[in-house]
Amino acid sequence: MAKIVGIDLGTTFSALAILNAIGKPEIVPNADGERLTPSAIFFDEDNADIIRVGIEAINSRHLNTERAVRWVKRHMGEKNYHKKVDGKKWSAVELSSLILKKLKQDCSAEHGEIHEAVISVPAHFDEVRRKATMDAGTMAGLKVIGIVNEPVAAALYYATTRAVSGRVLVYDLGGGTFDVTIIDVKGHQMDIVCSQGDHALGGVDFDQKIVEILEKCYREKFGSELIGSEEDRAKYEDEAEDIKKTLSRRQTAKTMLYGPAGNVKVEITRKMFEEAISSLVARTDILLDVALEEAGAEASGIDKVLLVGGSTRIPMVQKHLEKKFGHAPESTVNVDECVALGAALHAGLTMLRENPKEVPVGIASGLEDIHLTDVCNHSYGTICAPIDKETGRRVVENRIILSKNTPLPCESTQMFYTMTEGQKEVEVNVTQGEDRDVKYVNRIATHKFELPGGRPAKCPIKVTYRYDVNQRMHCKFEDIESGRMLEVDFCLDQNGELSQTDVNDMARQLEAVKVE
Amino acid sequence: MVGLLIPVFVVALGTAAMIAIIAGWNPKLGRLAGRFKLPSLPRQSSGFDDIIQLASRPDLSVLNCRVRLTTEPDDNRYVDSFSVEVCGTIHAPEDTHHACVRIEIMDMAEGGLPVRSRVKQWQKQGSAAFVYTAELGKLPNAENTLSDWMAVAKIHVDWLLFPRKGERSLMLSLSVLSGESGSELAGAECTFCYESETFGYIELHENLQRAKMLAVPLAFAVSAADGKLYESEVEVIREWVRANMAVSDACEQVAKELDRGLDKTVDFYRQGHHLDNEKICRDIVGLTPVAERYDIVELCLYVAQANGQAAPEEINLLRQLAGWLEVDAERFQAMMEKILPVSMHEVEDVQAILGVSADMDEQKTREQLNREYRKWIARVTSSDPEIQSQADQMIKLIAEARSAYMT
Repeated sequence: MAKIVGIDLGTTFSALAILNAIGKPEIVPNADGERLTPSAIFFDEDNADIIRVGIEAINSRHLNTERAVRWVKRHMGEKNYHKKVDGKKWSAVELSSLILKKLKQDCSAEHGEIHEAVISVPAHFDEVRRKATMDAGTMAGLKVIGIVNEPVAAALYYATTRAVSGRVLVYDLGGGTFDVTIIDVKGHQMDIVCSQGDHALGGVDFDQKIVEILEKCYREKFGSELIGSEEDRAKYEDEAEDIKKTLSRRQTAKTMLYGPAGNVKVEITRKMFEEAISSLVARTDILLDVALEEAGAEASGIDKVLLVGGSTRIPMVQKHLEKKFGHAPESTVNVDECVALGAALHAGLTMLRENPKEVPVGIASGLEDIHLTDVCNHSYGTICAPIDKETGRRVVENRIILSKNTPLPCESTQMFYTMTEGQKEVEVNVTQGEDRDVKYVNRIATHKFELPGGRPAKCPIKVTYRYDVNQRMHCKFEDIESGRMLEVDFCLDQNGELSQTDVNDMARQLEAVKVE
Repeated sequence: MVGLLIPVFVVALGTAAMIAIIAGWNPKLGRLAGRFKLPSLPRQSSGFDDIIQLASRPDLSVLNCRVRLTTEPDDNRYVDSFSVEVCGTIHAPEDTHHACVRIEIMDMAEGGLPVRSRVKQWQKQGSAAFVYTAELGKLPNAENTLSDWMAVAKIHVDWLLFPRKGERSLMLSLSVLSGESGSELAGAECTFCYESETFGYIELHENLQRAKMLAVPLAFAVSAADGKLYESEVEVIREWVRANMAVSDACEQVAKELDRGLDKTVDFYRQGHHLDNEKICRDIVGLTPVAERYDIVELCLYVAQANGQAAPEEINLLRQLAGWLEVDAERFQAMMEKILPVSMHEVEDVQAILGVSADMDEQKTREQLNREYRKWIARVTSSDPEIQSQADQMIKLIAEARSAYMT
């Protein structure tokens, strides 16, 4: 029987949860006995065969930042991001796979070999980043049976362990990303209404504000710069994280600054911190507003606010939410762990749907009454060339076929027409994005669709997009007259992303890599 | 050739055009033809139909045609339409011969210049001249006589582009063609008058040239707005003039004259002179449709972009020009964001960039900032690093504006 796990691959910390015999998720501590593993990597200087992941990497990174990596999740899916160590260029996918490999390894040591897993991603992650996350899992030797949005995973855990009902807003302010998801919950039935996210807002940005305060204090005292190297920066980033945590518990935090011009003791107050992060909190406010608008709801229409992510411990964030919604947000579960726990539940549901024989009876009965309806996280469209009504000129524009926040599974069809007489092919594009202007949308697939020649212009072509419950896209382009069809089962090879062969090759290479 | 897809509404237009093919001339013609009467005498205008030209009693041994001005419903409005009618005789090679009709119109007031089609469907191959064709179906006999006037086409005046505005003296040529060989079976011509209220293609061309000439001082005004006329900015204007005023095709003398003219303009602006930009814009609005005005705005934006940074004075003038040229404010904003991203602004004028102002109430400010946020948050995951960085910068600006303008 399969062991079913869920993984929260976070920006600053990661966690793994497994479903126990009765279908309840439990966090699996790592080899150090910690429930959370820092998402940090350090390439050992003395032993090139060993890659350190977790707390050891955090502790070593001040020694040589050139060999250290943190916050790799923020670069997931970026084609141009690489970390060069000992002549090898590590992509964000490969680096993430090292973190996953460590989690898998530590869990397997306690529970035996694990394979099937669901990995969580921020709700706003696009197809490229979702695929990159899946690839990282495959490279780590996991069989990634699904991807779940972090707020959905958290809500799943909340709803199955606490009395939650009505319209619920999940406020997920993690280490590097921020998501808001609105869900209608009735017992164990959960219907996602909408999600909004910010890829560059989280704990690391709050830490950065504290680093700026420290730099300013030092400059005012000595008239010189506190930070002169990447190693210094790494040290004060960690210091800032500790100060932030202290300020969540107390009104002041003290620290010693050891700079090139001398040493100074500084005291940072909660007020100073709150002033520094006010624009970041304003940024969360806008996202809240936009999510509420998308859901057609007022703040007063939200029955419960669920907190997810370590940054929600900041008192200003909690007070702000209480003021906005008129009631205190719910934080009865561990905000750092609920995503991994929910991801394990999601993995169980996925296994029940796709491979029920592999699910132990106890787990199956524990999950049988949970129902989840997710939505499309982005809009998907194609590129066409209509006549602009205002100018009378032909313009190239993105036409949305599947709209964001449509409940899954969903399907939508639109009719388009060929442009010229004798047109023998059409370049079909699958786009992701909300804009009409093609400059601002991502072309996630491009294909040539061959047509019969010798026909007049304006031959109809039916375009159908389908999005399944596993959040994967299927596109069909159909020439009505000839019956010719082009089906794009979603893969990202054309865009310079990894093909399945590449992923398998890299997985084999990474098998030899030792993580500790 | 790789093509793109045309959405539904383009085809809807084609369908509307097809509706204009008159049902009377179809394969059922044989059955209808026998019921035709002698042509009626010219009659007075009645209802909203207006008789433009009616021939005196026609000679039924040959084919005759006439045009009546009617109004036709089209998308919740009424449009002028030429109803083309025929009577008389058509000779075919044999019974049940397949035939079609072709119509062309010339403007006799302009020495027989063709009337053009605004609709691609009715454009002659290789030119914009209007040629209307439609199936007539099968002619029942080898000799077919229509004793009464019968409509064979309804031509929406919207489809036509005359050489000039005002009263037009038009000649319509109608041919009945063999559907098999394409040879002419019968032909007829008639003349009629029509008062066109829109600019003709000759005027449009002349106006366009005039508007392009007027665009040059506007571009220089943008360049000089910050008190400096950079060479890179002048070069953008020179290139635009070369590309848009057909200098490459003109004789060397004309090209030199244009260059001299540009040099003088450069001196004029370098000496700190300026023209009445608002008046120039008003003139341009009177001369050209909006599409060309977008081209002028685009030129001005590229001039502001040329030296890598846009001064606040340049941006202010650009906004004024867009208003005076009566282009859509949202579209102008989108052009600004593309050509002059916020990273190029010498001074980050948050109010202007985000469309908020101090006199806006909190609710309106919130709505505007949320609108901008929704737009830019969807762009932060762009695969283009430049757009990603622009989006990041805009999101930061929006957040700062939110904490500054809202309690």
